[in-house]
Amino acid sequence: MSLLSFDDVSLDYSTQGAVLSGIGLSFRRGEFLTVIGRSGSGKTSLLNLAAGFLSPSRGRITLDGAPVTGPGRERAVVFQDDALFPWLTVRENVAFALRLSGRPRAERSDRAEALLAGVGLAGQGAKRIWQLSGGQRQRVGIARALAADPAFLLMDEPLGALDAMTRDRMQELLLRVWSDSGAGVLLITHSVEEALFLATRVLVLAPDPGRIVIDRAVDYGQRFLDGETSRALRAEPGFIALREELVDAIHAGEEANHA
Amino acid sequence: MRDTRHMTLLTGIATLAIVLTVWTLASTRGWVSPVFLPSPLQVLKAGQLLISQGYAGSTLGAHAAASLGRVMAALVLTALVAVPVGVLIATSPVGRGVLDPIIEFVRPLPPLAYLPLIIIWFGIGEPSKILVIGLAMLAPIAISTAAGVRQASLGQIHAARSLGATRGQVLWFVLLPAALPQILTGVRIALGAGWTTLVAAELVAAARGLGYMIQSAAQFLVTDVVIAGILVISALAFAFEVILRIVERLFIPWASHR
Ligand SMILES: Nc1ncnc2c1ncn2[C@@H]1O[C@H](COP(=O)(O)OP(=O)(O)OP(=O)(O)O)[C@@H](O)[C@H]1O
Ligand SMILES: [Mg+2]
Repeated sequence: MSLLSFDDVSLDYSTQGAVLSGIGLSFRRGEFLTVIGRSGSGKTSLLNLAAGFLSPSRGRITLDGAPVTGPGRERAVVFQDDALFPWLTVRENVAFALRLSGRPRAERSDRAEALLAGVGLAGQGAKRIWQLSGGQRQRVGIARALAADPAFLLMDEPLGALDAMTRDRMQELLLRVWSDSGAGVLLITHSVEEALFLATRVLVLAPDPGRIVIDRAVDYGQRFLDGETSRALRAEPGFIALREELVDAIHAGEEANHA
Repeated sequence: MRDTRHMTLLTGIATLAIVLTVWTLASTRGWVSPVFLPSPLQVLKAGQLLISQGYAGSTLGAHAAASLGRVMAALVLTALVAVPVGVLIATSPVGRGVLDPIIEFVRPLPPLAYLPLIIIWFGIGEPSKILVIGLAMLAPIAISTAAGVRQASLGQIHAARSLGATRGQVLWFVLLPAALPQILTGVRIALGAGWTTLVAAELVAAARGLGYMIQSAAQFLVTDVVIAGILVISALAFAFEVILRIVERLFIPWASHR
């Protein structure tokens, strides 16, 4: 499974007009897509379509040519409010996908420990969810998704609730996870800078109806993984110029609405 | 926190002491005839006699065991019905349409009102008694289960689905665990209703049971046995409450960490 594609997809929740309209998108395994756009522009709706929680009103969503009819473990989701299971330990949360597929207990806990180590939570498997900080929970959510060996990792503002310092560290973690797993990552964020730093492609959604107005290839995340520092990259004139351009694109049309 | 808990405990002990004192005074000073209110000491003696020699054909232990057996049987059998009913109410529109009215119909009925009907239908044997108690437990467990199932967040359900869970697995691995704290609350309320209904259930053709013992004693104005019986029921109910709290702490630790 290596290509998730949207073909002229529209979505309306009711008869009051489309929430998304004419979305065309080819999302390959190995890409890091970030999605930005104003509140209500349809970012979450786009992710829910990709995850299979919603189906398009018009158009087609396919996975390697086969229509997407619902959620599946090749498209694991990480949620903003982590959506972990408090009745399970940290380790059992991470091993959830393996439990569903009936893998033996020993294999489950080995794999969970390895995944926890991968997100910087080595040895925390026996803890309970409420004993973790917000950033640690988000890591558990990511490890839980990775346990499904997904071809695509869909994340709706996974870092939205974190403080700035934790957020910086989590961004680096996400890049490592992306590069180690080889998955295609789709990440929604409110931070233009974050979108630009992480992505191989930045998408900007404009609202009413939600549509993709910018689809731009970038390489800062890859360069960070290749050894350049985050500060130097973010201080580059090219980075700053592009950031301003994206901010402008997000706010374009806002004044028109107020006029 | 600790201070308020101490305060509550102290107040509780003080209240108990005052009640006992007033009770003792009332019976020893002759404010109330001992026929109506025997002294605590008399009740204690009656209790000892109940344990060693028994009353109305059985020892206190046998009466208590019979009642306990009925309440437990009713609880287990009712839970087997009420939990699935609650799940259906919470998860299926059709289930809700069919079952919700039934539960709402049973919920406010006083056990004494449907007892005669159950005796007509099912006779005066043990099944009828368990059924009467069970009916009183049905609504609390079903309603709590339905409310508990709705505690699972959409995010949790979506997460499970995207990790490959089937509908059945979502039910087993997400909805039911999410509902457990509330199911336990339902069981607690149901046990209360069960003890309340016990005396009614043992009104007819019982040969054993705390309710039966109390009623037999009441007919002959053996007030000390009546009071001893009441205290035993109260102690049993309290013991259950303590056990349920321990169960919650040990097995449902997330209940207090939503
Ligand atoms: N379940 C729903 N039923 C009806 N309308 C909805 C539903 N979910 C979202 N919408 C509408 O669709 C539009 C897009 O919502 P969506 O949640 O996709 O936006 P978003 O870009 O994720 O916003 P935010 O940045 O605030 O999370 C909004 O106008 C919203 O009101
Ligand atoms: Mg959103």
